[in-house]
Amino acid sequence: MHSAPDFLSHVATPLGFYYMILCVLNWVAALVMWRHGPKTYTTLKLGPATIPVTNVIVWLLVGAAFFVCAPLAMIGLPPELPSEVKQIVNELSGPVTLTLGSLALFTILFVFRRAWTAPPVAWTILNLALLAMGMSMTDPNFTAIVAKPDNVPIVGLVFLLGFFTWLATYKAVLNDDRAAQGLPPLEKEDNEKVLVWPDLVYTELICMVALTAFLLLWAIALQAPLEEPSSRVKTPNPSKAPWYFLGLQEMLVYYDPWMAGVVLPSVVLLGLMAIPYLDFNRKGSGYYTISERKFAYLVFQFGFLELWVILIILGTFLRGPNWNFFGPFETWDAHKVLAQNNVDLSQFFWIKWLNQSMPKAPTGSGAGTELLYILWREMPGILLVFAYFVLLPPIMAATIFRKFFVKMGFIRFMLMSNLLLMMGSLPLKMVARWSVNLKYFISIPEYFLNF
Amino acid sequence: MAEKKKLSTADILAAARKNAAGGATPPPAEKQPAADAPAEVTPPSAPIAAESAGDSPAATPKSARAGGAKPSVADILAAARANKAAAGGAAAQPAAAKPAAAKPAAEKPAAKPKADKPAAAKPAAASGPAVRDTSSILAAARAASKPGPVSKSEAAARAKPAVPAKSAKGESAVPPMPAKPDYAKPKATKEAPQEERRFFLGVLVGSFLGLGFSTLSATGGLWTLAVLRYMFPNVLTEPPSKFKIGFPSDFPPGVVEEKFKAQFGIWPVNVEYKGQRQIVAIKTVCTHLGCTPNWLEAEQKFKCPCHGSGFYKDGINFEGPAPRPLERYAIRLADDGQLEVDKSRTFQEELGQWSDASCFVSV
Ligand code: FES
Repeated sequence: MHSAPDFLSHVATPLGFYYMILCVLNWVAALVMWRHGPKTYTTLKLGPATIPVTNVIVWLLVGAAFFVCAPLAMIGLPPELPSEVKQIVNELSGPVTLTLGSLALFTILFVFRRAWTAPPVAWTILNLALLAMGMSMTDPNFTAIVAKPDNVPIVGLVFLLGFFTWLATYKAVLNDDRAAQGLPPLEKEDNEKVLVWPDLVYTELICMVALTAFLLLWAIALQAPLEEPSSRVKTPNPSKAPWYFLGLQEMLVYYDPWMAGVVLPSVVLLGLMAIPYLDFNRKGSGYYTISERKFAYLVFQFGFLELWVILIILGTFLRGPNWNFFGPFETWDAHKVLAQNNVDLSQFFWIKWLNQSMPKAPTGSGAGTELLYILWREMPGILLVFAYFVLLPPIMAATIFRKFFVKMGFIRFMLMSNLLLMMGSLPLKMVARWSVNLKYFISIPEYFLNF
Repeated sequence: MAEKKKLSTADILAAARKNAAGGATPPPAEKQPAADAPAEVTPPSAPIAAESAGDSPAATPKSARAGGAKPSVADILAAARANKAAAGGAAAQPAAAKPAAAKPAAEKPAAKPKADKPAAAKPAAASGPAVRDTSSILAAARAASKPGPVSKSEAAARAKPAVPAKSAKGESAVPPMPAKPDYAKPKATKEAPQEERRFFLGVLVGSFLGLGFSTLSATGGLWTLAVLRYMFPNVLTEPPSKFKIGFPSDFPPGVVEEKFKAQFGIWPVNVEYKGQRQIVAIKTVCTHLGCTPNWLEAEQKFKCPCHGSGFYKDGINFEGPAPRPLERYAIRLADDGQLEVDKSRTFQEELGQWSDASCFVSV
């Protein structure tokens, strides 16, 4: 199914420019490579002549392909994603596949960091991502989300984040290779001091001027989105927090407001502050490295990429009316019905597994008895949470984290493991919600205590 | 460059020592104020550099900018070298270079680490006034030899000559101090009239401080009171908390009435709860984080747009994160047969309050 032609004519000019930019990007890359000395991958034999296939030629050709796409897009015939692909993507962007997929991607990025940070590979990935974006832009639903003035900066941020992740990983791989050869890290080789004045101040001044100009242009080109006057009784649907809080908003879907709004953010902040006191690894200060700080690297990247960035992307692009999930090529239908009958663990336990009614204090009993009954009702959840936070750390200390325990001592280890478990509780809860519709492990609405 | 400088250092020190041994020239030179010097000196850039060095020896770029770094240093060194000859004509040139350096040394020697180091490096020379001049000249020369940004490698190269200084620092890091002039000596203390004056000053300052702080606290107190008063406005434009919504027959079974949402924030609903048909007034506030849910007629549920909580028609939560059912307001049958909602009281299901007869009207 092709998109409506009037929509295509609507995006024709921007898309044409988009492909022109991609073309120029590749040609500039080819020029840079040519000036640095081209590298020959293979040679092609065409009859009598042998043609060396260099990186310059490859990127020139890629640029040429984009060069052809540009006028095609201008006349309303841009390359489009087949609807089957869109269908698959829509289905894959469900919460479970998204989480598991991003987890798999995270693992791949870590394990194969040497392969994907190689500049030609990274450049290929960038080209593919940009091409996929261009092809998706022909879909009205996708464009409606991505080109919303609110969301444009987030699209930019995604690419920026990709770039910086690549840069850091690339440098870390280089440094790790050097360390394996007994060489000092790159940063130690080139540690010339620069002065605040004039070096830093000039740089800052130039950045300031350039950024101001850029922001001005942006503000003129993309109007700030204004919505209807606020009203106490009408909440926009969907109601989205500013992008940098979308991770928190997503967290609120799985937790009680107390937990997700107050406790967890404070724990995040305190945990980040505690890092210098918990970290006993003296290596890796002042230079990029992964293999010298694997634990720190993995924990941080997991917390940042998986629990913050992915949640922001999810909240921005995949949450629609009524806070339902929508695939990127799906129409935002306010009447989409998703069965989400959420059940507390205590309900699971008493009603489903023991086939009993929930324990309830006899009417007219005092507050103390009622509390006892509530605790009895929530016993399974309380035991589970207790085991998670109290029993797991010693087990961790005795098994996989043995070395950590020896080096850190009791208090620091307990702090670290509890922070780690706290962090792990978020994805666990999310998966439990999505897979078995679990609402709360401990649910004591009587005292505003839900976990 | 360092080599060259070292040589010149030796030269200068030799010259200085010669001066100290038999020259009558330095003492008058030192006494001479810097201001006189320009009149006598031929190279115009030298006095400028010397002056600025005298003002603040640490601020080298200033001296460098003032007179063009290299010529002035060269001039200074030339002037110093000329001392070697101890000729009569030299009297003028040292005058240009020396007082400038000597002045800061006399005033605050401790604040001049750059000048200290050379002096410490050659403790043997630290006797005559001429020596101080030398060190200062060297400091000025070193500092000014490369104006502008200095990278680490350059800094390391420059640090080399200073290394011996560090080792000898313990013995004589501070150059000899001249006797304090009269005006610098601590004044005679405990004189009666002064004490009186101080007392008076204290009272004056104290009373001003007291006045200031009491005004401040009075203003602060008034502000607080005003803010408190602001919290209780004279006119409240809120809808009354008690209002009538119509006769029970206006609410057919199973219908969620939406017309009171905008003004009063309630949904009157005719529902069956625990086998009992009743009309209740549901509060339009999500029990998760306080957004306003929407009634979806097609799906027959309340759905919150913020995090997706869903509630049945009777207000019981069933999906999303909301931990408890929507709350109810008090409702009763008024004397005229109309339903009257009282928003000053709410009823929560999880606390067992829905069995309270004042939160529903049976029909
Ligand atoms: S405020 Fe209604 S679901 Fe969060």
